[in-house]
Amino acid sequence: MNLLRTYILPRILQWALVIFVGISATFLIPRLSPINPVDEMIGRMTAFASIDPHAVVSMRESATALFGLEGTLLEQYGRFWARLFTGDLGVSFGNFPRPVSDIIAAGLPWTIGLLSVAILISWVSGVFLGALAGYFHDRRWAQVLERFVVVVYPIPYLIIAFVLIFVFAWWLKWFPLVGGSRGQPGLTWDYISTLLYFGFLPALSLVIGSTAFRFIMAKSLTTTEIASDYVQYAELAAVPKRKIILFYVARNTMLPQVTDLALSLGALFEGALITEVLFAYPGLGFVLYNAIYNADYNIIMGITLLSIAGIATASLLIDLLYPIFDPRVRLR
Amino acid sequence: MGTIIETNNLRAYYITKAYGVERTVKAVDDITLRIQEGEVYGIAGESGCGKSTLLRILLGAYQPPLTVVGGEVIYHLDGEEMNAADMSDEQQRDLKWRTISYIPQGSMHVLNPVRRIRDTFHDFISAHRDVTKKESFQLTAEYLRDLGLPEKVMASYPHQLSGGMRQRVTIALATILWPKLIFADEPTTALDVVVQRGVIQMLKDVQQKEGSTLVLITHDIGVHANLADRIGILYAGKLVEESDTKTILESPRHPYTRYLIESLPSLDSREERLAIPGRPPALDRPPSGCRFHERCPLAKDVCKTIEPELIEIEPKHFTACHVVEEELNGGHSVYA
Repeated sequence: MNLLRTYILPRILQWALVIFVGISATFLIPRLSPINPVDEMIGRMTAFASIDPHAVVSMRESATALFGLEGTLLEQYGRFWARLFTGDLGVSFGNFPRPVSDIIAAGLPWTIGLLSVAILISWVSGVFLGALAGYFHDRRWAQVLERFVVVVYPIPYLIIAFVLIFVFAWWLKWFPLVGGSRGQPGLTWDYISTLLYFGFLPALSLVIGSTAFRFIMAKSLTTTEIASDYVQYAELAAVPKRKIILFYVARNTMLPQVTDLALSLGALFEGALITEVLFAYPGLGFVLYNAIYNADYNIIMGITLLSIAGIATASLLIDLLYPIFDPRVRLR
Repeated sequence: MGTIIETNNLRAYYITKAYGVERTVKAVDDITLRIQEGEVYGIAGESGCGKSTLLRILLGAYQPPLTVVGGEVIYHLDGEEMNAADMSDEQQRDLKWRTISYIPQGSMHVLNPVRRIRDTFHDFISAHRDVTKKESFQLTAEYLRDLGLPEKVMASYPHQLSGGMRQRVTIALATILWPKLIFADEPTTALDVVVQRGVIQMLKDVQQKEGSTLVLITHDIGVHANLADRIGILYAGKLVEESDTKTILESPRHPYTRYLIESLPSLDSREERLAIPGRPPALDRPPSGCRFHERCPLAKDVCKTIEPELIEIEPKHFTACHVVEEELNGGHSVYA
């Protein structure tokens, strides 16, 4: 009970507060802008045609209601929260009148599938390759691997992605240029294999850069770790290398990387904008790109809210789970 | 009781080369030791006199820049004579923990912070014996009980233990496989005196239970007085005096040893203690002749040019000093 009161409860409160402040800010910031979206919309519609003034007035009214811009700021704020709790994020301007929640729900599984696989693969391979290369730093293969990573790491993501598209999709035609899958969605191998087939290149493009980043981080952490007294002592006692690397080196270098992993998983809800645009992958990033392009405020807001909640929840989870990884933060 | 480990004219230098400038630190210079089976041999001296370096060499745990440039280390184990230089990594590894073990300096950080004590014990035991996790837990529990440590430390993480407890756990970890030869590097330093007392008692128990040999390194003469059978005094990489503990404490002959002993506080005298004048020399350019001559009140001309040899001034009491040698006038060099 004490644990709940002193450790878990304050963190949950903090989480709720962060989300509350974040969402309030997302509500407030567009309303501080001098541009009125209702005027903008009517302006667009009447720019090339004259419309009956009565129609304009009623259109203005219904648009104001639709955008939640009726009444004072405080009234709007109250309604905003009320709508949020019923899961109503408004309607899309670009795909009028499709609800925003619908559009986000359609893009989300793609993004989650692509990014979580890419993040997990790059995390595991980066951390363990980095630990191995750091531990065997005087071996030839480790030096070659490190040089390779150091060369790859600074290459801008755009270039890696373009090269992959150019070589494997356009030139060799091994992988598709556009899309996320083919055929009837379902839990059949036929469908799942097309998911893997379409997802491979975008995932690879993401894995290369972030593996390199985690490799470099893990390697430098390992360099400090192998100089530590407990690693040296275990070596002196001739504890098998496999055990030293796994339980003495990697287990300790993992700690800062766990935080990093959780935050990247939290940021998942923003989507991988550049990846999804380049590979025309139907995830959240692609949705966001189109929304920005079309000034589709409601969608931008919806995705922003989701990513605020995602990151806050991820940090809450790290806080709650971290004692499992590091016994030193465990309460006695 | 024979010799268990000996060194003959051992020289070990730290050789570094950076930007074409070579620097040699003569941390262990011409040291000849015979350590007997079952004894507690104390090595004493100021910081930077080469104590820890000597230990690293004896233990066979050193890497460049530390290099053995001369002499040899010979183990007499299981009726076999083994030259450390001829042993393969494999052989060295086989000896560790089962036969030769090490209690490190600053045990604060030698336990993996994210591993429970019992798992660390299992790692160390299973590296040398074919045991299941359950068997090593049982072995550990029994051993800790024997040494009077609470059983609950088994499930603890290192940070949950006090400094003294951590040191005791480390001693248990180093000695769980009953090694014949135990090296301890400053095992009581950084502990308060009450805890020190417990740790010293525990070292004694461990050593006496199996009649192991303990090579004890510390600058704390009090600890030596408590534990050691014989003491070797190291100064600037050289062995300057060696005898049984009683002789060293009561009638030291080398001026350096005399300073060391006289600087100890005593219960019946409240007068101010004499400190050794000056500082220990830098070992990359040690003084010529006797390395102590710059700080020695008895120094003569000969001390500045000729290195004194270690001679037996009375049975089993060796010292390397021209002045003492002259006084005796007729003492003979032992290892010549």
